[in-house]
Amino acid sequence: MSATTGPGATSSPTAAPSSSSARNANATSSRKPRRSARRRAEARLGWILAGPAFVVMLAVTLYPILQAVWESLFNYQLTAPDDRTFVGLNNYLVILTDSIFWRAMGVTTLIMVITVAVELVIGFGLAMVMHRALRRLRGLLRTAILVPYGIITVVSAFAWFYAFDTTSGFVNSWFDWVPGISSDLNWFAETPTALIVIMASEIWKTTPFISLLLLAGLAQVPGDLEEAAKVDGATPWQVFKRVIVPNMKAAIMVAVLFRALDAFRIFDNVFIMTQGSAGTEVLALLAYRTSIGQLQIGMGSAISVLLFLCVIVICFIAIKVFKVDLAPAQGGK
Amino acid sequence: MRRTGAAAAVALVATLGLAACGGGDGDDVELTWYINPDDGGQAAIAAQCTTEADGAYAISTSLLPRESSSQREQLARRLAANDASIDLMSIDPPFVPELSRAGFLAPVPQELQETAEAQAVQGALDTATWQDELVTVPFWANTQLLWYRTSVAEAAGLDMTQPVTWDQIIDATREQELYLGVQGGRAEALTVWINSLVQSAGGEVISGEASNADEVEVTIDSEAGAEAARILSEIGEDGLGGPGLPTSDENGNLSTFEGDRGSFMVNWPFVWPAMSGAVEDGSLSQEVFDDVGWAMYPQVVEGQESRPPVGGINLGVSAFSEHVEESFAAIACITDPAKQAEYFVTNGNPPSATEAFDDPAVQEAFPMADVLRESLEAGAPRPLTPFYTTVTLGLQRTWHPLDQIDPESTPERSTELLRAILAGEDLL
Amino acid sequence: MLTTKQKVWWALGTVAVLVYALFPVAAIFATSFKPSSELTSGTFLPSSPTLSNYESILAGDAQELFLSSLRNSIGISVISTVLASILATLAAYAIARLDFPGKKLVLMTSLAVSIFPVISIVTPLFNLWRTIGLYDTWPGLIIPYMSLTLPISIWTLTAFFRQIPWELEQAAQVDGATTYQAFRRAIVPLAAPGVFTTALIAFFIAWNDFVYGISLTSTSAARPVPAALAFFTGSSQFEEPTGAISAAAVVVTIPVVVLVLLFQRQIVSGLTQGAVKG
Repeated sequence: MSATTGPGATSSPTAAPSSSSARNANATSSRKPRRSARRRAEARLGWILAGPAFVVMLAVTLYPILQAVWESLFNYQLTAPDDRTFVGLNNYLVILTDSIFWRAMGVTTLIMVITVAVELVIGFGLAMVMHRALRRLRGLLRTAILVPYGIITVVSAFAWFYAFDTTSGFVNSWFDWVPGISSDLNWFAETPTALIVIMASEIWKTTPFISLLLLAGLAQVPGDLEEAAKVDGATPWQVFKRVIVPNMKAAIMVAVLFRALDAFRIFDNVFIMTQGSAGTEVLALLAYRTSIGQLQIGMGSAISVLLFLCVIVICFIAIKVFKVDLAPAQGGK
Repeated sequence: MRRTGAAAAVALVATLGLAACGGGDGDDVELTWYINPDDGGQAAIAAQCTTEADGAYAISTSLLPRESSSQREQLARRLAANDASIDLMSIDPPFVPELSRAGFLAPVPQELQETAEAQAVQGALDTATWQDELVTVPFWANTQLLWYRTSVAEAAGLDMTQPVTWDQIIDATREQELYLGVQGGRAEALTVWINSLVQSAGGEVISGEASNADEVEVTIDSEAGAEAARILSEIGEDGLGGPGLPTSDENGNLSTFEGDRGSFMVNWPFVWPAMSGAVEDGSLSQEVFDDVGWAMYPQVVEGQESRPPVGGINLGVSAFSEHVEESFAAIACITDPAKQAEYFVTNGNPPSATEAFDDPAVQEAFPMADVLRESLEAGAPRPLTPFYTTVTLGLQRTWHPLDQIDPESTPERSTELLRAILAGEDLL
Repeated sequence: MLTTKQKVWWALGTVAVLVYALFPVAAIFATSFKPSSELTSGTFLPSSPTLSNYESILAGDAQELFLSSLRNSIGISVISTVLASILATLAAYAIARLDFPGKKLVLMTSLAVSIFPVISIVTPLFNLWRTIGLYDTWPGLIIPYMSLTLPISIWTLTAFFRQIPWELEQAAQVDGATTYQAFRRAIVPLAAPGVFTTALIAFFIAWNDFVYGISLTSTSAARPVPAALAFFTGSSQFEEPTGAISAAAVVVTIPVVVLVLLFQRQIVSGLTQGAVKG
């Protein structure tokens, strides 16, 4: 997985000590046998403690994805098990030449880009409010913000769906003064409006997470720098642009990457609100519909594998092109 | 582990079965009936039949999801695992051929076949049959009627005692600037509608009952298909279904029909108890309720009898059940006409048995019972094919939204798509 | 001291945040008290509020469906949280305190697993589960939930553990305590809040799962709440169960709100520590 190579290449000074000493272990061991014995004991203990978690993580992801790769080479429908045949890469060929797949890819990417951009803006606002909030208000604000974070995505999807639904919703009657909205507007009939609601619920639910990541970044901005800038007569916007953002760039990048990967896997909202109709089908839903819905195990596995590859590509681009340093994200020190 | 256990158990039953069945000591026979969600009626019948069986077997129910496509997923997934925990199944009729072809259904005993054929309406029997054999037993049978507001029909000068055509109700709705209650959402209901239009015009979506994907004959690209497309596109383009049309379902139609701009609606009989309930709790005025009338499903070609949609639930027994014999005995009990009649009255789901419609309680609760029976006799099943899911999703993809339908090209486009998907050349 | 103008701005800002965060919850809360006749009224508040939706899920038709799924959700989420916390505590301790080859690999694996698209592995898991008999069982969900709860637990805890002044342990030993005593008296009180916070976050994630829930279960034996919401039904096949779903949604949101109210500080510190720590 590319993610494992990235941070090593760009490893920040803060992450260096632990990894470099681990890497140097072999080089130094021959010189001091006594230390080497202790090292070996420590290594053994390390693996005894960390091993189970490591094995479990691999067992629940690596094994299934390899299985998916294998099954994607077959034409295999669950209700016609006798017709199972080896078709090589044909499933991939069918998928990659099908407009349905590319459309789903487009919708997924669109959702990812827009939600992350909007979340970054709102998230910054929330983080600023929390960062500056008086002690008295802090608890209240945090509690409020954590509600969307903790709520079940499916519940959030239902809440937004019922609010906008033409028959049961109140949105149309509340906002009929807005141009384009009338009591007759069927939000889930057209692609743009349906996507707006889907993205709104996604943004509502996940902005708190991004704002907390940004809050942590804000805490790292040296207060005296900010003060100094103010004394020099900088406007708040200048302070924000010149002092705050550069000092928390790493935090912003990590927040964006994580949310982007999360948004790329969007499923629950779309499943509840439109089931993919009105041109809102996303990749995860396409994979689900094919393998679980139509029981086309072979074809569905192929889509799953492609989805997985997409995630890796996004990660790769983030690390290589945008130089996102994941070292701090490990909680590295 | 479970699988080998099940296989061993099946083998055991197979060898000991003959010897055991004479004994009748079935204290331990626990049958699991996978039911679709309803208003508690199937669970009540299960309890009743358990009592009547007097120890021969006991039935417990297990709930399937609300959407019929999800019901199929759940059942198919379990059956594909040769899971012995399913005995009886409530099956949405379109999926009968698929389950039968996959070998998931235990053959229906001759005697039960004969009983079913003697008692059930034709429309329901058609849905329970695959390649000339009755592979499931009809339990309840659903059909759509044309519901109308008498005032609207009168204003349009329509004689509702005679069959009406789609064109007539479309014109009436357009002239009076009202909304039609039709299922335009991208869902199974759209296929139901398309199929009935095509069949009413004398065509078929799929012809023949081929077992293999490459032999399936898609015949919707026909005059009948074009006529169906014309009706749908007219409703879509002229906005006759109201703003909710692209997402409308049976429940939404009912709200439209009850509203100020209600006119005609094609819908299942659940709307009747729903409307009388609404009158009781005050959300629907008695005046509107008294205005409601019903008739046979509209014709596509004037003078040519319509083929209304048929739905409902058929009962099947899993081929992997360890209690096939008891399961069929249970089905005989469940499908008893008297129980069907009671189920209709309490749960609003019409019986498949002809005689159940004559039950006085049924006649009282559903004044339209005779029309329902007539509709079921005339009804047309959805395409009988093991690839039904492919067919319905393919239709929904090409025939939605309604205002994008082109009578010239849509039937052809959907034929091509279905062919490509069935040949594995295209995704769905 | 704040000027009046600042006070007004703070008040407005706070109200804006509260409206943002709570409005959709308030909307479904209001819907859950609507009688069926008002579900299509298009108003926000019910004009004659009723408890009938709650009755139907807690005592009525949908009771069996809802309560069994609630039991499953609680049981499965708690067990997978506990398991993940134990495994993650061990791993994080090793990563934070010990130097061993491959510790970077463990961290990077947890990172990779956390970005893994769940939908990609659900099909193979489904196939495997039905072969070995884990389909539609508690372990059948608890095991895959590890892919959700374990990575974030490892990170968060590693971050926490790195901040613990481990010298205290040695100091206590110097003072004559045994290793175990030193660990218990000096380290456990410092580490426990981190473990607890991590468990809370892991619980939220397990509680939220939908994809595994709908794909790997088929009966009330293991079906969790988010999946069960798709099973509610109106009084007939074709009627929308809006009321029952809303009521169930409110019920399953209550634990979230309670946990958030009680532990907002810990959750915030856990999320910010685990994610970004320079």
